[in-house]
Amino acid sequence: MTVQGIRTVTSARNGVGAFILQCKRLDFHYCDWAGSSRGMVSFLKHHLPSFAKANPQIEIRVSPRPHKHPVIKGHYVNGREKAICVRNLEPEQIFNKANLLKAASGEKLKRTKKPIASLNESVRGIWDPYHGGFKSV
Amino acid sequence: MFSRTALARAFALPIEQQCARFSVARACLHSTAAAASTTTKTTSTSPKNAHPTSPLTATPHVQTSSSTTSTTTSTSTSTSTSTTTTTSSSPIDLKKPVAPTFTSPLQLTQSLLAQLPQLTSQRPHYIVSHLHDRPYLLTQGDSIRLPFLMPKVKPGDVLRFNRASVLGSRDFSLKGSPYVDERLYECRVRVVGVDAEPLRVKEKTKRRRRHVQHIKSKHKYTLLRVMDVKIKTAEELLQEGAVVV
Repeated sequence: MTVQGIRTVTSARNGVGAFILQCKRLDFHYCDWAGSSRGMVSFLKHHLPSFAKANPQIEIRVSPRPHKHPVIKGHYVNGREKAICVRNLEPEQIFNKANLLKAASGEKLKRTKKPIASLNESVRGIWDPYHGGFKSV
Repeated sequence: MFSRTALARAFALPIEQQCARFSVARACLHSTAAAASTTTKTTSTSPKNAHPTSPLTATPHVQTSSSTTSTTTSTSTSTSTSTTTTTSSSPIDLKKPVAPTFTSPLQLTQSLLAQLPQLTSQRPHYIVSHLHDRPYLLTQGDSIRLPFLMPKVKPGDVLRFNRASVLGSRDFSLKGSPYVDERLYECRVRVVGVDAEPLRVKEKTKRRRRHVQHIKSKHKYTLLRVMDVKIKTAEELLQEGAVVV
């Protein structure tokens, strides 16, 4: 008996029905001692509570990372993660970086030329010279 | 379109809060659809709805939007009660879509009325929607990466595209000159996120100078997902107040 794969009936298309934000977790790492974490510590004290409240769908973890530069890591639904080093940044800049990670799709950055990607079959079908009007053939 | 329980599960919020958050944008969009119908039917509805330029509140129009499909009406009516309580304080309230200001009802010619059923009955449909004068051929479920970063939107927002040059199916198409009237169709798009391209480095040199300048750039792009492409049937158009000429 051969092993047969199960054909997928549907494929997930986020946003067509329900919408799920792709960023599921943000990790904030800081150091209490190092000067490059000064902005990060200030961000954690003053801005993070409101940021977390505004984004209840994102899990937020804060943990020390001694003797290292501060880092924000975003974990995504597709399993990938993105890390941004925020050394010597001001709290406002860190806030922008956190928003960037929040809105990102989690995919690897690619250069694409076509704006539209579709899973659907072509609506109008494939052109065929032997069907339809013969005037132009 | 939404399943309320699935949404609440996804975001782990109390259900009222959940509905309030997401239904405001939806309810407003329905209000624009409903406004198209109410502006034309001035005699039948309440006098407040007769002025298209007056600011539209979300709820009364949601109640009147009976012409949309059964799934959308069920969600909008079920969530309208929670919308009334929260619209006054929510920040989304400031970002209502611009209410359509139609001065005359939609005019359907006899030939269009006769041919439209052929187009509406043949599914699936596509739409050539224009954004900043660029055409995008869209079908339901397509993902779009716009060639620019759209300002003042955030992930989860729903946009309604209202400029299309062609509506079509496999064998039929309705062309506008240059654009089709926006009351003939509904094309909704959801903002999914913001993407960036890989860092590009441009090497710049000057003659006779042993120095190379590296110019870096990294553009951001808005990601969208087409929620639905719907061409309204002749019955729906007549119900919304279209006039046959």
